Amino acid sequence: MEELDLLKKAWQKDNHSFEQVTEKDIYKMIHKRSTSIVKWIFYISLLELGFGFILNIVMSFTKYDTESLELLKKWNLYNYYIGLSIIVYVVVFYFIYRFYKMYKSISVVDNTKNLLSTILKTRKVVKQYVIFNLITFALIFAVIFSYGFYYGYMDIMIKKGVVHPEISAKAICVSLLIITLITSFVTFLFWLFYRLLYGILLRRLNRNYSELKKIDL
Amino acid sequence: MSETLEQSFVKQLKQNQNIVHKICRLYTTDSDAHNDLFQEITIQLWKAFPKFRGESKFSTWAYRVALNTAITLYRKNSRAVNTVTYEAQKHFFVQDEYNLEEEERIKLMYQAVQQLNDIEKALVFMYLEDKDYTEIAETLGISEVNARVKMNRIKGKLVKILNP
Repeated sequence: MEELDLLKKAWQKDNHSFEQVTEKDIYKMIHKRSTSIVKWIFYISLLELGFGFILNIVMSFTKYDTESLELLKKWNLYNYYIGLSIIVYVVVFYFIYRFYKMYKSISVVDNTKNLLSTILKTRKVVKQYVIFNLITFALIFAVIFSYGFYYGYMDIMIKKGVVHPEISAKAICVSLLIITLITSFVTFLFWLFYRLLYGILLRRLNRNYSELKKIDL
Repeated sequence: MSETLEQSFVKQLKQNQNIVHKICRLYTTDSDAHNDLFQEITIQLWKAFPKFRGESKFSTWAYRVALNTAITLYRKNSRAVNTVTYEAQKHFFVQDEYNLEEEERIKLMYQAVQQLNDIEKALVFMYLEDKDYTEIAETLGISEVNARVKMNRIKGKLVKILNP
């Protein structure tokens, strides 16, 4: 192709049309912060990894937390709560460790395909973490809601003077349906938010990665 | 120690800055974005520099990091409008020995190259820099045969852009 070779000739000769940066400029530049997409992903991921953690710690100092613990004890859920908390913390630390390992392996001197793949895999770790969180959240939400509903109903009935209150099968079915719907809806909202956030953030990476994969097909 | 490292980096980058400028010009459409990308590439180069052992030439190492930054790490400024009316471009290939007609053809070709996607641009960049296919393939992480095939396809695509 003649045109491309013309361009090539011009390209290789052309070395002086750029405004040259000075050594002073370069010194200044290397002391600035990177605004790369990996930095963004890192900070957002840190927020995600840390959010539940920090929320938990903050909450444990509030009156609200003591009250809900009392409630859990009353509902005989306290042991499950402790068990679940331990599992959640272990999993969170596991995810943080994996994220850190992956993040460290991102290397700009790698070949482009590997670099893209490592970045996307790092994101995947956080994505799995978010999915884990959403499932745990949905589970806890549904259980607490069900128990709250059940005990609340019983309390009202006892106050009304019913000696042995019972919930009809129909009421249980309806309330379960409502709880499932609300839980799914809230979870769906979170999921949508993530899709949007990372859809925008990773669009270019995904596009370039699939372009590279296509070349080797 | 770190002082000399910094000095040696700054000196080498200053000498080889045209490589970075060429990549910036290929991947951006205005001078603000050009400077932005230049800055980001400089940071990435500097971060990676302690591991640079001088096994390859500084320039070879630098264009790899620079390309990777342009393709994967750099966040395009969404405000930048995708036009090829790049102010600096007017002066780009203006050199005395070209005749006007040739100059025009080169300019059109360059504009066509700017319409390619990120990966295609990377291939064309290395082609223009006269890299062999082994190096192109290695840099992008694809096979050599497929790098050749892709380059031929890109040439076809460029013909189509030039003769719609």
